Amino acid sequence: MEKQYDSARGADRTTEVSREEITSVMTALEPDQIVFTKEHHHCPRRRLTWTEKVLFWGLRIYLVFMVGVVVYQIWTGVR
Amino acid sequence: MKDPKTISEARGEAATRSTLLNGRPISENDVVITHEDIDRAHDREQVSAVRARRGFRPRFRLFWLLIGPGILVMLGENDGPSMLSYAATGARFGIGFFLPFVVLTFLIACVVQEMTVRLGAATHRGHAELIFDRFGPFWGWFSMIDLMIGNFLTLVTEFIAIRAGLGFFGVRPAVAVSGALLVLSVALMTHRYWTWERIILAAAMFNLVFVPVALMTHPDWGAVGGALVTWRPLPGLTQETVLILLADIGATVTPWMLFFQQSAIADKGLTTRDIHMGRIDTVLGAALATIAALATMLATTPLFLHHMSAANFEAAEFAQALQPFIGHWGSALFALGIFEAGMVAAITISTSSAYAFGEVARRPHSLNLPFRQGRAFYLVLLVEAVAAGGLVLIPGIPLVYIVLLVNVIAVLAMPPALLFLYMLVNDREIMGALVSPRWANVLALGVVIILIGAGLLFGVSVIAPNALSIIGGR
Repeated sequence: MEKQYDSARGADRTTEVSREEITSVMTALEPDQIVFTKEHHHCPRRRLTWTEKVLFWGLRIYLVFMVGVVVYQIWTGVR
Repeated sequence: MKDPKTISEARGEAATRSTLLNGRPISENDVVITHEDIDRAHDREQVSAVRARRGFRPRFRLFWLLIGPGILVMLGENDGPSMLSYAATGARFGIGFFLPFVVLTFLIACVVQEMTVRLGAATHRGHAELIFDRFGPFWGWFSMIDLMIGNFLTLVTEFIAIRAGLGFFGVRPAVAVSGALLVLSVALMTHRYWTWERIILAAAMFNLVFVPVALMTHPDWGAVGGALVTWRPLPGLTQETVLILLADIGATVTPWMLFFQQSAIADKGLTTRDIHMGRIDTVLGAALATIAALATMLATTPLFLHHMSAANFEAAEFAQALQPFIGHWGSALFALGIFEAGMVAAITISTSSAYAFGEVARRPHSLNLPFRQGRAFYLVLLVEAVAAGGLVLIPGIPLVYIVLLVNVIAVLAMPPALLFLYMLVNDREIMGALVSPRWANVLALGVVIILIGAGLLFGVSVIAPNALSIIGGR
């Protein structure tokens, strides 16, 4: 039986894989479910619009402010 | 086997792009197969074989094969601090407004988690990975830091629950924490997502132990039905009410749930054809978690009816206080439930951190990996759990404050996390035809508004407590 080697992550991941197993993986999994494919294809980065940036920053400021409120509550509680 | 047309139609160009390597289709000779792929393919072959058959039994078998992430995430979120919140709610307010309110929070959780089902099945990628890829490392790290801080604090509270639950039976804290870490490690030794999922699912079912405890208190079912329909009696708008309100929201909707369910769906290998079953899984999980949550509130209602103050109760103290009403066995069941809630959540939350780390650090991240191949994944999971467990054993640590912090921070961190989710699930480039329909977007925006509103109300209650009486019209 012909063997292939899994070496996607170097020597520590080396495992013998049979032809049957390769065929099984190729038929049972969708192409983008295979680890090798996922490692070689990343979703392209998208450009954020001005509105999206404002929303991101707005919610970030909201979170930082509210965490400050929680810290204040604990501080007053301890006192 | 699978139907490529359906997949391609559903995801449009995304599917085509993924089948190409350097501009040409991937062939068997190009691909390097991993242990993880082989295990996942084995699971998918079973799903395909069952799906090809007709009749009730194959359909039930398909249901059995595909359920898991939804139930795990919902029952996992019924964790130590959550059960403590529900217990405190029942003890402080009895039967009334908070019963339907908790049902509403689980409906909110369903809306949110359904989006992760679609996202995971359509992209086969975890949530952290998608955020990094689509929004870049700057926003990716923000979201990771939110998740890691929230997860670590939550994990600490799970060990507090484990310690408290077993403490009822006289187990020493060090033994309780060490035992829990051992159970967590043994579950990982399966090195198989499917086996791990079934073990944790079985353990999660013990969350329903609160149902017999509630029945032992002989609830007034007429009052329960009335409260669920009328949302009355309403509590007064005080600082305590707002805190409980926020804690109950944080008990059902938290950022780790988004990361966990999407990563688990990718790890389990669900595809676009499984989305319907993924939704059923999520709704079923929410229904079971709602029953357990309501049961916990009903179980502690006798404390409210007998005017017993439970303001500073910890988990085991609820069990002790309930003993005159439900006897020793009832109290023991309650304490066991608290232990179980902490144990299951400790496992799922540490797994959610490990998934996110692996996705971001581009390290292998799957429960199908042998330890040697997934060393970083397993180490992150174990190190986080050991650190959280160790912290609980330090004498003098203000554990009550940590519990209080956790649910509140979860609610506050949710709107930014939901914005990422909302944008990803409406991203036609990765979702194709599976982008959210308008009604789902309206519901999601409604959830964000509710969460921000609750957060702001909390802020007002802390900074200007007197303003609450003005808002409440008193």
